[in-house]
Amino acid sequence: MSNEDLYHKVVGYVELTIFPTVVNLNRIKLNSKQCRIYRVRVNDLEAPFLYNDPTLEVCHHESKQRNLNYFSSAYTAAVSAVDPDAGHGELVIKVPSELWKQGDDLKVLKVYIEFSLDQPKGGLHFVVPDVEGSMAERGAHVFGSCDEKMKIFSCHRFWFPCVDSYSELCTWKLEFTVDASMVAVSCGDLVETIYTHDMRKKTFHYILPIPTAAPNISLAVGPFEILVDPYMHEVTHFCLPQLLPLLKHSMSFLHEIFEFYEEILTCRYPYSCFKTVFVDEAYVQVSSYASMSIFSTNLLHSAMIIDQTPQTRRCLAQALAQQFFGCFISRMSWADEWVLKGISGYIYGLYLKKTFGVNEYRHWIKQELDKIVEYELKMGGVLLHPTFSGGKEKDNPTPHLHFSIKHPHTLSWEYYKMFQCKAHLVMRLIENRISMEFMLQVFNKLLSLASTASSQKYQSHMWSQMLLSTHAFLKSISNVSGKDIGPLIKQWVDQSGVVKFFGSFAFNRKRNVLELEIRQDYTSSGTQKYVGPIKVTVQELDGSFNHMLQIEENSLKHDIPCHSKSRRNKKKKIPLMNGEEVDMDLSAMDADSPLLWIRIDPDMSILRKVEFEQADFMWQYQLRYERDVVAQEEAISALEKFPTPASRLALTDILEQEQCFYKVRMQACFCLAKIANAMVSTWQGPPAMKSLFTRMFCCKSCPNIVKTNNFINFQSYFLQKTMPVAMALLRDVQNLCPKDVLNFILDLIKYNDNRKNKFSDNYYRADLIEALTNSLTPAISINNEVRTVDNLNADVRLILEEITRFLNMEKLLPSFRNTITVSCLRAIRQLQKNGHIPSDPSLFKSYAQYGHFVDVRIAALEALVDYTRVERSSGELQWLLSMVQNDPVHYVRHKILGLLCKNPPFTKTTDSALCNEALVDQLWKFMNSGASHDWRLRCDAVNLYYMLFGLTRPSCLPLPELGLVLNLKEKKAVLNPTIKPELGVGAVMDTPASIGIHGFNTMEDEDIDMETVHDSQAFIHHHLNLLERPSTPGKHTHTHTHTHTHTHYIHVLKTLLIQFSAILFIWHQITTTVISMYGPYEQALGNSGKEKLPFNRKKPAKPASGRGTHLPQLVGGEGD
Amino acid sequence: LGDNARGSAGKATSSPAENYLLARRRTLQVVVSALLTESGFESAEKAAVETLTEMLQSYITEIGRCAKAYCEHTARSVPTLSDTVVTLIEMGFNVDTLPIYAKRSQRMVITAPPVTNAPVTPKALSAGQKRTHPAHIPSHFPEFPDPHTYIKTPTFREPVSDYQVVREKAATQRRDVERALTRFIAKTGETQSLFKDDITTFPLIAARPSTIPYLSALLPSELELQALEETDSSEQDDQTDGENTAGNAITDDPGADKENSMLPPSGVVPSTKASEDNVIDNPYLRPVKKPKVRRKK
Repeated sequence: MSNEDLYHKVVGYVELTIFPTVVNLNRIKLNSKQCRIYRVRVNDLEAPFLYNDPTLEVCHHESKQRNLNYFSSAYTAAVSAVDPDAGHGELVIKVPSELWKQGDDLKVLKVYIEFSLDQPKGGLHFVVPDVEGSMAERGAHVFGSCDEKMKIFSCHRFWFPCVDSYSELCTWKLEFTVDASMVAVSCGDLVETIYTHDMRKKTFHYILPIPTAAPNISLAVGPFEILVDPYMHEVTHFCLPQLLPLLKHSMSFLHEIFEFYEEILTCRYPYSCFKTVFVDEAYVQVSSYASMSIFSTNLLHSAMIIDQTPQTRRCLAQALAQQFFGCFISRMSWADEWVLKGISGYIYGLYLKKTFGVNEYRHWIKQELDKIVEYELKMGGVLLHPTFSGGKEKDNPTPHLHFSIKHPHTLSWEYYKMFQCKAHLVMRLIENRISMEFMLQVFNKLLSLASTASSQKYQSHMWSQMLLSTHAFLKSISNVSGKDIGPLIKQWVDQSGVVKFFGSFAFNRKRNVLELEIRQDYTSSGTQKYVGPIKVTVQELDGSFNHMLQIEENSLKHDIPCHSKSRRNKKKKIPLMNGEEVDMDLSAMDADSPLLWIRIDPDMSILRKVEFEQADFMWQYQLRYERDVVAQEEAISALEKFPTPASRLALTDILEQEQCFYKVRMQACFCLAKIANAMVSTWQGPPAMKSLFTRMFCCKSCPNIVKTNNFINFQSYFLQKTMPVAMALLRDVQNLCPKDVLNFILDLIKYNDNRKNKFSDNYYRADLIEALTNSLTPAISINNEVRTVDNLNADVRLILEEITRFLNMEKLLPSFRNTITVSCLRAIRQLQKNGHIPSDPSLFKSYAQYGHFVDVRIAALEALVDYTRVERSSGELQWLLSMVQNDPVHYVRHKILGLLCKNPPFTKTTDSALCNEALVDQLWKFMNSGASHDWRLRCDAVNLYYMLFGLTRPSCLPLPELGLVLNLKEKKAVLNPTIKPELGVGAVMDTPASIGIHGFNTMEDEDIDMETVHDSQAFIHHHLNLLERPSTPGKHTHTHTHTHTHTHYIHVLKTLLIQFSAILFIWHQITTTVISMYGPYEQALGNSGKEKLPFNRKKPAKPASGRGTHLPQLVGGEGD
Repeated sequence: LGDNARGSAGKATSSPAENYLLARRRTLQVVVSALLTESGFESAEKAAVETLTEMLQSYITEIGRCAKAYCEHTARSVPTLSDTVVTLIEMGFNVDTLPIYAKRSQRMVITAPPVTNAPVTPKALSAGQKRTHPAHIPSHFPEFPDPHTYIKTPTFREPVSDYQVVREKAATQRRDVERALTRFIAKTGETQSLFKDDITTFPLIAARPSTIPYLSALLPSELELQALEETDSSEQDDQTDGENTAGNAITDDPGADKENSMLPPSGVVPSTKASEDNVIDNPYLRPVKKPKVRRKK
């Protein structure tokens, strides 16, 4: 057992070389969390240091405060207090007085920090499968099975002291000593690998000559299998043991992505090598770091799997796009994040367009647009480029949110995802405005500036070209294109919200004019007013015509002259937008009007939601004849409201049309099912889609038997998968699934035969189970009888029989990603919910345990969350919450909270026995201190708290004595002003201007800082007070001008970080690590190579492993 | 006891063969009863008598079988007294005590069983005409056996070629196999149930967490792999042969010999292939360097 402790330990050593830019540098602040710092030296002198992490416990002392407003502001203050962009940090090092004021010559300072990391909860993630055996046995075991693997996710201050900011660049030298059976993969070039003297360990030496920020540094250690990319030998792939065949297949097209990006950006991949590492229990599916990306191992697949292939390719493309924008070029400040996310998302979109086709691309854009519109309308606006003029709470640009968007660490995860989504959509809007050619020119310019800068020796401003700010980006756009995109930026970037249009029209026959009315809703939450051009496309008998209308303040109506007289020439073909000419059956249309259909903003060049009214036949024409997939999808969703035989026919035709985009056809299936249900009393013929499916997929000779599977045609494969799922949604007059349909699905399962198929049918079978699930309807229950086997409905018995068999077979022959188990668990929950079988959580609990495949666990947890809500079970809620606190997999913990938010056991508006003081306390405690090691988890907990109790004090709590004042006007509770004074600490209050915000350039606040820093409570309250005070002039106004901000940083932070080196000793099989950052400017400063050797032999405890002594040569060695 | 015997005797039996056997059996029962009376029992349960009869019968049968075996062993066809004696000895019976036992005073005399006709073995079904001997075979030679023993009689059914039936059959068969298999596994291992009152109707094999869950979830099953191999059996790189090279590289170092055996081979160590193939120069394939001998430990 004692070994177990060793497994999770890292011992490290960091060296930073700092070039002060101010004279009075006497304090150095770094970011560091959960590290135990043993010793700090500055230029060989022992330096006193203070370690204080205010985010460990957000709200101290107080015990009564339970409202989220208070928490959010306290949390924001705590994060601000250690914000590296503002020059703060958890670790404050006092520069020994001997090194002060050495005249005007600013000498290089070297900071050495020894630290260890014991059982880290965040940052570093150890995955150690529970394999029995002594050390030797384990050692012998490493070869075959995977004993240990380890990887890391972004928050860097969690695993080594650094300046955890994207804007602090420096070069790196990293050394990792690990067990000989392991491989340590990290950023930069692997220079050499050397055994330690006892030959039990190896040291990996990495050098990253390109200036890189600490958050872009990562490490993965494990018994990886290695695959050198057969097309590009500088690219290396790593996977866990036994997965090599999958890795080979999954990576076989990576070179195409490389080629694509390099071609469109006309720029070589900036790093000299690239590494992909596939790890288990990944924090996120894809994360990119300088010259390496870490993926979830679950993205690997074999050649037999269809559905996973495009997803994996997308993930790779995303990761690679972020290599250019995000890793190589990183953000200047948090407010500029949208530019990088936007650009990487945009070029990723271009890749999608090229690889998966224009249809897929437009479908994706529509999907993303729908997603962001839905989110913003529900949750309030997403602001891409927030500006914080003062530090004041009143200036909060997003008062509708229950969290602050001032720091990435306080953001809700969902919000961040939507933020990324909006960013790339806005980037696409910019492209619409300035053309793709210019857009790519801008990117190329940014990249070439950055790569010139990266090869420079350190000079104070040179490297800043590698940081991208909103301002620089916009300037570059205006330089390249000469166009002013100011209004566009103002509308979508500086402002939050989307546009909501309502459109309707009338045709004026006398004037032959189309009278179009477009109204807007800009008062409800998440909306904004749009003024500007809008494109309207009108398909008439004589062709398709685009009209640019101007949306203005007060004009709602627009007259559009029509080109065609109502049908004079009957037999003529009708020209479409794409030049195609088609025959149409015009009998359905209004004889007086030449209009076939009308589309508002067809190119999605506004972030909007359009609700447009036109007659059902127009939607049907649009579905049949408009060639744009977006238009077809819009028509399908509109047709749901028109359950007529004509709609049915249009949908059926689309379903049968093989040229039609398969996702449109899939959507048509579900729409057809809805229409069929709406017209159940008048429906003629067999159940919807049945004859169609029979014709497409069943044997000619015996129509009740499906053909043996052959998925070589992917379009029909997807259709074959979808149709049964949609058909199962059909209901007869009694609101039951028709017997025909159920038997049909059961037959599909029975006759399913995959023996001759090149592809796996696991997704297909999973969908058939989903179809069975969809066919379920609530059981008729008499007197609430207990559900037993005997009173099972006959149909349900058949369904249950299939599910049991599938679930059991899965144990013997597991399917890819256990898709079938996942579907079965969902089906069982549905059976329980509909009262066919007794509601019981124990099955799901066993599948939710650690040790099952993650998809299975999530499915089981989803069922449990649902159970908790339906049965109002506090036992299960407790079980889930304890899993949130204790589960080894971060993703699962995050996911449980996400699921609870999506399907909350109760909400702030409903009463529930579950809502009690104990739960409030528990969640509060978790938010406050329990989740301090994981930003994402803490924000998830905040979300859940908001969902359950709202912003104000939970209603189930007794009112504290005057603790809160309810502001009815703003509908929120605020701190009682009378209790504020006691929160602040006098000394701090008295010198507000001098407190930490400006960092090191204020000497006089030294005493206060040092003393109060012990008491993080005072620290936070102090910041709380700062937030409420009117802004001091000149304080912290970095959003106005970025050049200014930058100099500010240089002033405050560049002082800090110029060279950085570190050693990490990760105990036992995963062993020692050495990280070192160095700067090529070093020589410019005239230091000899020897002097700057980061590791002097005086270092006690750790054996000096062979470390590179010839750094200067290596600096230039990145050319190839 | 007598009643019992009479009762069973009165039962009408159908075939002469059965009749014959019954009579023998009855005699045996009488013998057992007599022996029991002789030993001082006044009454016995029917089941006990049956068991003893059974034992006696099998004992006698064994003597007979064994004696016959001895006689056949010596190439005779009818057992002699000595065969029986040897048999008895072989079965652990002291033959010397037999005459004394036979002449004991209190023995009961049992009437001989009624004479019944030994059953006639029914004639084997004859099919077709027996062939007569051809001219060159003397007539005293045995006759030909029945023709069905040596003549091929082709019988075949029309194979099922109807597509629907084939599919139906395959589907049913697969389903039956799957169900039987899963039920078997469920019966022999831990199960979970959807119903509290009934754990047998829909038994679910219990979910068991594994140490490395992603392996089974991601790797194709062997069944699927076979199919895949048919399609692309082309590229199977061997990165495994690298261990030896690495091992050799280290053996030069005398101090490292011991550790060497513990070094687990992995893909990290350079493969011979990579060193041969000069095109690929990847830092991860390069050999691991030995530590520089700079100073003593």
